Amino acid sequence: MRVTRDVPGPRRVDASMDLLNQILHAPVDPDYARVAAGVAPGDRRHARGHHWWLALVLVLAGTLFAVGALQTNRTRPVQASERTELIQRIQTAEGEQDALRRQVEDLDAQNRRLRSTALGGDDASKALETRIDQLGPLVGLAPVTGPGVVVVVDDAPTTGDDSRDQVLDLDLQVLANGLWTSGAEAVSINGHRLSALTAIRGAGDAITVDYRSLTRPYRVEAVGDPRTLQARLAESAAGAWWNDLSQNRGMTYQTSDASRLVLDSDPGITLRYARTVGR
Amino acid sequence: MIPLVGLAVGVVLGLLLQPTLPVGLQPYLPIAIVAALDALFGAFRAYLEGTFTDRVFVVSFVSNVFIAALIVWVGDQIGVGSQLSTGVVVVLGIRIFTNVAAIRRALFHA
Repeated sequence: MRVTRDVPGPRRVDASMDLLNQILHAPVDPDYARVAAGVAPGDRRHARGHHWWLALVLVLAGTLFAVGALQTNRTRPVQASERTELIQRIQTAEGEQDALRRQVEDLDAQNRRLRSTALGGDDASKALETRIDQLGPLVGLAPVTGPGVVVVVDDAPTTGDDSRDQVLDLDLQVLANGLWTSGAEAVSINGHRLSALTAIRGAGDAITVDYRSLTRPYRVEAVGDPRTLQARLAESAAGAWWNDLSQNRGMTYQTSDASRLVLDSDPGITLRYARTVGR
Repeated sequence: MIPLVGLAVGVVLGLLLQPTLPVGLQPYLPIAIVAALDALFGAFRAYLEGTFTDRVFVVSFVSNVFIAALIVWVGDQIGVGSQLSTGVVVVLGIRIFTNVAAIRRALFHA
């Protein structure tokens, strides 16, 4: 038995694009041509009844466009009002959050009073309380007042969309860490006190501290020895980092001494571990 | 003349009466409009080529609009509605552009 093979005919170059060809080259409904071929040119307009159908369909088409346009226009104010409602809800939630934070601070103060009454007046308790009072400001549990340094940083004034000319979360982290290493006792950014547990992160276009977004310019306040803090910051790696940013990128970086700074406590601090005295 | 008057009357009617579509049909309106545009341009091209027939136009318009909406509806039922409507818009868009190109050639010889 002989096997015969079909000799393939010359294949069209664009055979695989049949669909596209069909779309591109036969866009008119082929029925027009077919009907026109079957009907003599003089006869084509003989059926007057069809004119009414034509008019009806065209009226329908016009109505369709009008309704479509109206529908789109009608939903626009709805979307806008939904947007404002969302913004309002966010603002209410932020207000509630602030109220809750204040409540936390009140309760903290109450806690401290109760603690000192519970500890009593003997020597061990007094030593304990002194230690708490010493550590409180350092970890961010207590508000801190004192002289220090104010650092104001901001994006470069001619910034476009180039993120290299904008202050990043990393830059603020470097600055905060630099202040700590230069001997700052307490640091806050735009009024948000930093503790060991504070996160400085970028979220979209904004930088967040304790998950609250900041607005430019960034004002970093640090309480510490005013005689050494600024000089040591300038000598530290953070100072070099920010000098580079301000000279090469045009970002704002201003340090100044402040005779009295008031830094609130960090409301995010909670008691996670405790043990009874004397064990 | 009839086509333009019909379209104008339809637009005015729609603007005056402001009919509200049932909510279930609203997603299919844009697709139906694109299909209607396609049928209109196809009809205009056929008219310029001298092959226009009322009956074919009426049937192609109604079926175009109906089928386009149906495809998207089926797509919605099986979870690919947005992809299918994109496909419909692409295909009808290509057809509209080629038809308009032919119309342009016929009208302005350019």
